[in-house]
Amino acid sequence: MQCLLCQRLIQSKFSLPWLLSWRPFTRPVVCAVCWQRFKRIERRTACPGCGRDQTVPRLCPDCQRWPAERPFHNVALFTYNDAMRAYFQQYKFHGDYRLRRVFEGTMQTALHQLNGDLVLIIPVTPSTLLSRGFNQVSGWLSDGLNQPRGLQTLAREKGVPQSKKVRQDRLRTPQPFMLALAAEQIQGKRVVVIDDIYTTGRTIRHAADLLLESGAKSVTGLTLAR
Amino acid sequence: MKKSELYGRQLCLTPREAATLPADVQKITGIQVSGTRIQCMRCGEFLNPREAQLPNNQYYCYACLNLGRNSTLTSLYHIPEPNDFPQRPTCSWQGQLTVQQRTCAQRVRENFEHRHRHLLWAVTGAGKTEMLFPGLTWALQRGLRCALASPRVDVCLELAPRLQAAFVDAEIALLHGRNPAPYRYCQLTICTTHQLLRFRHAFDVLIIDEVDAFPFAANPRLYYAVNQAVKPHGALLYLTATPSQELLRQVRRGDLEISYLPLRFHQHLLPMIKVTLQPHWWQVIKRGQLPNRLRRQLARYQQTQQRFLLFVPQVAQLAAVQAAIQRALPALRGLTVHATDPDRLAKVQQMRDQRVQFLITTTILERGVTFPGIDVIVLGADDPLFSTAALVQIAGRVGRSRERPTGLVWFLAASHARTIKRAQRQIRLVNRKGRRLRDAMPVVSTIDSK
Repeated sequence: MQCLLCQRLIQSKFSLPWLLSWRPFTRPVVCAVCWQRFKRIERRTACPGCGRDQTVPRLCPDCQRWPAERPFHNVALFTYNDAMRAYFQQYKFHGDYRLRRVFEGTMQTALHQLNGDLVLIIPVTPSTLLSRGFNQVSGWLSDGLNQPRGLQTLAREKGVPQSKKVRQDRLRTPQPFMLALAAEQIQGKRVVVIDDIYTTGRTIRHAADLLLESGAKSVTGLTLAR
Repeated sequence: MKKSELYGRQLCLTPREAATLPADVQKITGIQVSGTRIQCMRCGEFLNPREAQLPNNQYYCYACLNLGRNSTLTSLYHIPEPNDFPQRPTCSWQGQLTVQQRTCAQRVRENFEHRHRHLLWAVTGAGKTEMLFPGLTWALQRGLRCALASPRVDVCLELAPRLQAAFVDAEIALLHGRNPAPYRYCQLTICTTHQLLRFRHAFDVLIIDEVDAFPFAANPRLYYAVNQAVKPHGALLYLTATPSQELLRQVRRGDLEISYLPLRFHQHLLPMIKVTLQPHWWQVIKRGQLPNRLRRQLARYQQTQQRFLLFVPQVAQLAAVQAAIQRALPALRGLTVHATDPDRLAKVQQMRDQRVQFLITTTILERGVTFPGIDVIVLGADDPLFSTAALVQIAGRVGRSRERPTGLVWFLAASHARTIKRAQRQIRLVNRKGRRLRDAMPVVSTIDSK
C-alpha cells in the first residue's frame, strides 16, 4: 500500500492488542511521517469563536471584530500549515480526488460528535463543479453522495476566487448563497455547516447568517483547517 | 491561443477553455472507458476504477496528474504537425570528433535518414552529445522537427546551452516542470521525458538521453509517451551507457539497431569494479567504528590526499558514516550530500573546487557529475537501491580525466548480488569491445584530441 501523499510504501504492523480487539483491519492511506506533519487543533484551548489553535480558550482578535451575540461558532480540526496547504493544492486545485480519503475518517468522526439536527455543506459554483468534477467537502463525507442540497450558490458570475483575495477584499464579499429549504425544515434546528478552510470566516458566516435569519436555533461551523 | 502552439501537441482542456481554439483542431477522447477497462489516452495507463472515479460516473487519470488533470470532463486537442519552419539552421560547432566518434556519428545520421530506431551504447565519458551534431545538422537542414529528451532535469539544463552554442541560429525550446516560460513552437525542443506526454506525432527525430536513468527506466508510461510523441515514421535514438535488459531484448528481437562506442575520448578502458565482501558493515558503522579494510584505505587517502566519493544506499545512513569517519580519521575533510539537501549545489561546488577531499552521498551523484581523477567507494553495493545501471554509472565516475585515466572502484557488499555481477559483466563487455577497437586502430588517432 502506497502513501497517498508521498507515494512511499506503508508498512502496517499487526499488533496483539489489535488482533484481540476483533476490529476490522483498516488500510492506512497515509504514512506516519506525512500524518505527523498535519497539526491537530486542541479543542479545549482553541478559540471558542473560530476554532483557531491557541494556548488559552479566549476569543481571538479576529473573532472580537465580528458581532458576538450570534449563536454561531466554528470548530476546526487542523492548523492551516504548509502540509495542509500542500494537501489542498493537490486535492482541490490539481483535482486529485483520491486524497479525500486522507481526512474521510477524521471529518466523519468530528461530524458525528457535533450531533447536529441538520447538516449542510458549503456548495461550489456550478462552473467549478463542472471543471473540478467534485465538491471538496462532500468528498470527505460518504463518498460525496446523498448530500442534502440545502445551500445553493446564487446565479452570479464568480469573479476572483476567495483564495486569490486579500483579507479586506474577502470581508467585503457579498452574500453568495441562497437557501433551497423550506423554513419549517430549519426552524428551531441545530444546524452544522461544513466547509474546507476557515480563513477570515466570511464564507461560513454568510451561510450562518442566512440560516439564523430563517429561524435556526444555532449554527455550528465545521472546517478541516483554520 | 496561437495555432502553432497546438502543432504536434495534445493539450488537455475543458470544453470552456477549448472554445477559443481555431476551427480545425482535432478532438481526442481523453479517457477511454470501455466496460471495466479505463485507459488514459495521454499516458496509456490502465486505471483502477475505484481509484480513478469522480462523482457522477466520471473518471480521471491519477498517473499523469502533475501535467494537469486528464479526465472524462476534458478532452485532448491536437493539430497535426505541419513542419512549418522558415529557417534552416546550420551547425556552428567547430570541434573535432575522434575516429570512433566520427564512425558513430555517421551511423546516427544514417539512422536518422532511414528513420530507424537505434540504440547507441556509449561508455560513460565518451562524448555522446558531440556525436549527435552531424545527424542533428542534417535533420534541421531538412526542416525536420527534432527533440532531445532526458529523464533528468539536470541533464536538460546542461544540454540546452551546449546545443544553443552549437546551433546559434536555431530556435530552441526548453521544457521542464519547473520552467515558468510559456511553450513556444520551435524546430528543436529539449525537454524532460515527462513533457513528451504533451506531444502527439510531433517529432521526425527524437533522441532520448540517459534512457536508463530513473524515472524513465522504471516507468512504462514514459515508453508510451515516446512512441506517442515521435511521428509514426520518425527516427528514434536511445543514448545510454547502461542499457536495460528490456532495451537489449528489443535489440535481440531486431526492433532496435545497436551501435557501440566502447572507448572514452582519451582511449582508455573503463576501470574494473573490485568487490570485497563485508557482511556487517552497517552494524560496525552504527557502533561508530569503521570496518578495518575501509579504515586502512581511508588512512591511505589521508596520506596521499587522493580525492574520492563514498556512496551509501540510504540518506539516513549518511550521518552515521560521516561520524564514524570523523572519529577514526579526524584529519579527513568531507561533506554529506543527498537529494533534498538545501546546500546540495554548494557542496558539490566545494568538491569541484577541491576545498573538501571527499563527499558521502546517495545515488543522486551517480551520473552527470565529473570530478577529475577521483576514486569511488560504494558501501552496501548489494542494496536493492543500487540498480545495475546505477552501479555502472557510479563506476563511470572514475578515470574521466586524461591525467588520471584509471582509479579505484571499490564495492563493499554483504553479498555478490546479481546487480553487482551484471555491472561487472557490462563493464567487461564494453572493455573487451574497446580493446578490440583500440588494437585495430591506426596509431595516429590516439594523438588527436577531443
